[in-house]
Amino acid sequence: MSKRKDARRSFSAVCAAAALLLCAASWCPALRAQTPPANPLAAPVYKDFVDEAGRTVHVPQPVQRIVSLAPSLTETIYALGLQDRLVGDTDYCDYPPDAQKKTKVGGAINPSLEQIVALRPDLVLVTKSLNLLETVQALDNLGISSYGTDPHTVQEIISSTHRLAEVLGVPEAGAALGADLERHLADLRLRLNGLTPRRVLFIVWSDPLISIGKGTFIADAMRLAGATSIVDSAQDWPHMSLEEVVRLQPDYLVFASSHSDSAQNDFDVLAERPGWRGLEAVRNRRFAVISDAVNRPAPRIVSAIEDLARQLHPEAFPPHSGDEKKIPSPAEPQLSLRLWDSSSGVPAFLEVCACAL
Amino acid sequence: MRPLTLSRLLMHCAILSAVLFIVVVVALKLGAVPVSLYGLGHDLLRVLFRQTSQLSSEYQLIIFDIRLPRILLGIFVGASLSVAGASFQALLRNPLADPYVLGVSSGAAVGAIIALIVEPHLALAPAVAALLTPVGAFLGAAITVTAVYFLGLREGQIDSSTLLLAGIISASFLQAIIMFFMSTLSGGNYRGIAFWMMGELQTQPPQIVSLILRFGFFLAAGIIYTTASDLNLLLAGEKEAMHLGVDVRRVRLVVYIAASLLTGLAVSVSGAIGYVGLLVPHVMRLLFGSDHRILLPTAAFGGAIAVVVADTLARTVVSPAELPVGAMTAIAGAPLFLYLMRRRLA
Repeated sequence: MSKRKDARRSFSAVCAAAALLLCAASWCPALRAQTPPANPLAAPVYKDFVDEAGRTVHVPQPVQRIVSLAPSLTETIYALGLQDRLVGDTDYCDYPPDAQKKTKVGGAINPSLEQIVALRPDLVLVTKSLNLLETVQALDNLGISSYGTDPHTVQEIISSTHRLAEVLGVPEAGAALGADLERHLADLRLRLNGLTPRRVLFIVWSDPLISIGKGTFIADAMRLAGATSIVDSAQDWPHMSLEEVVRLQPDYLVFASSHSDSAQNDFDVLAERPGWRGLEAVRNRRFAVISDAVNRPAPRIVSAIEDLARQLHPEAFPPHSGDEKKIPSPAEPQLSLRLWDSSSGVPAFLEVCACAL
Repeated sequence: MRPLTLSRLLMHCAILSAVLFIVVVVALKLGAVPVSLYGLGHDLLRVLFRQTSQLSSEYQLIIFDIRLPRILLGIFVGASLSVAGASFQALLRNPLADPYVLGVSSGAAVGAIIALIVEPHLALAPAVAALLTPVGAFLGAAITVTAVYFLGLREGQIDSSTLLLAGIISASFLQAIIMFFMSTLSGGNYRGIAFWMMGELQTQPPQIVSLILRFGFFLAAGIIYTTASDLNLLLAGEKEAMHLGVDVRRVRLVVYIAASLLTGLAVSVSGAIGYVGLLVPHVMRLLFGSDHRILLPTAAFGGAIAVVVADTLARTVVSPAELPVGAMTAIAGAPLFLYLMRRRLA
């Protein structure tokens, strides 16, 4: 019995010792806080900005080292011509192709904090719809500034880009890019003026069928392209019932894809399915494929909008006047036309050309 | 059962703490950013002698503000889960019991999801908002544990099999609620909660929460340890234990509350890290025998080692991206469990 008591007492002693050790270890970080900044020679100048999540962000001026935690922000940085200051981005930052060569910090949801720290960024860019609050808080705790964007419409994408340019110290580039995008949208509005919007089903995922809600920037992009989404849901990524789609009979199905061939396959697979055959749009092969740029709240979305408008309203883009008005946006050269019409499978622009001849 | 001696207990603990120390040093060295072992030793000594100003600041941030707190969190989460698992296995007299078998993790997940959903509507200060997920998860766990306790009563007493059934059914009911909420979450939250449910240690809880976790671990594990010899007798059977003078009712209540507290604390800071609480006690039983006076402390060390190793792998395998640590423990844990089971049958 006494042995057992001994054992119990000694366990308490072991516990106490372990507790002391662990507490001592956990106090070590506190020492760090007392040390002066590593480089006392250059006192950086800071400027305060309020980001789109309402946080006041201390931004060192000028911003020399940027880490982007979202593909859309990486694209925006390139569109502003600041690629040389981008020192790190995520595994999913694939556009422009040069962005793939940047140092990777992991995914947008689970970036490696230590990799970010090792890149010594002046500013980390995040976006509310993709990144987690925990990441932002962890960066705050490490003393790293992060600026958050949160656009919900195409107009907000443009104004958000403009504001980001100011934060990064290149307001002129932001103003020029914004004006260019606005010019494209204004031209589009002129062309589509008076045309009846096409009723479309935007397909995010086909099995199960996921579409877009009315509050998303993609739905807004559809409106600007002369289309209305048939889905009237407050959820961002509503799961649609096929019955509802058959009842609503969209004029066009819209796919966003980086490869138009794979979207063609998606359509062919869908067309074979029982419920889908009941759709007018499927029977008449009325579907449009646009660049997956439409999925990212970045400047390139404007060219995707133009591309969709051309496919849905070819009559608004007569072939002769098209060339002089075509102004490639800085982020993306003009996308080629992709439309398969009726059963022939002949791209529509060929038909248009034939008519012109 | 071999008699317990002080030297045996101390020796086992010494061996395991040496292993834990080595694992911690290796975990401090490995990561997305390379650190040399020599440099690490050098800098640890510098920190001990308070010459921290000579370290470069990113380096300090990476080692002392990112890796070390994460390792410490892993140690406490692993030790809590493992001790809770050993306790539930004895309490329910079921080798398949783990800390989550009674629905604690599902309850915590529901709490965390609700916290995520209401957070944007509350306009809280960031410091308070950071507390919301762990607090929501802990409340969810506590409510579940209480409900399962009352559902598991039979004639006013805890009944092992009724408790187990009540726990399993509650867990699957809560899983259904989780599915419902998840289908309504938007993109970022959805992925966040998915990672949370797989278990992750990257998110450092606020200071106060870490302190509560550490304090709660020593409190609850200490309480469970006082019942260690009663748990040994309980394994022989409840009637037998009662005849040998064990206050079975009190022991069950105490162990139930303390083990649930351990699980709730661990889940609320790290999500559901599977297999640690199931497997580590079994491994320790094979290595050191089934005497709970030795099993409980060795399980604490073993759980800490297992989680730190798994998290180091999770940080480095697809570096610089990270895997959820729960995926690592499941990938390693399930085959190990099958191996142990076959070996016992052979």
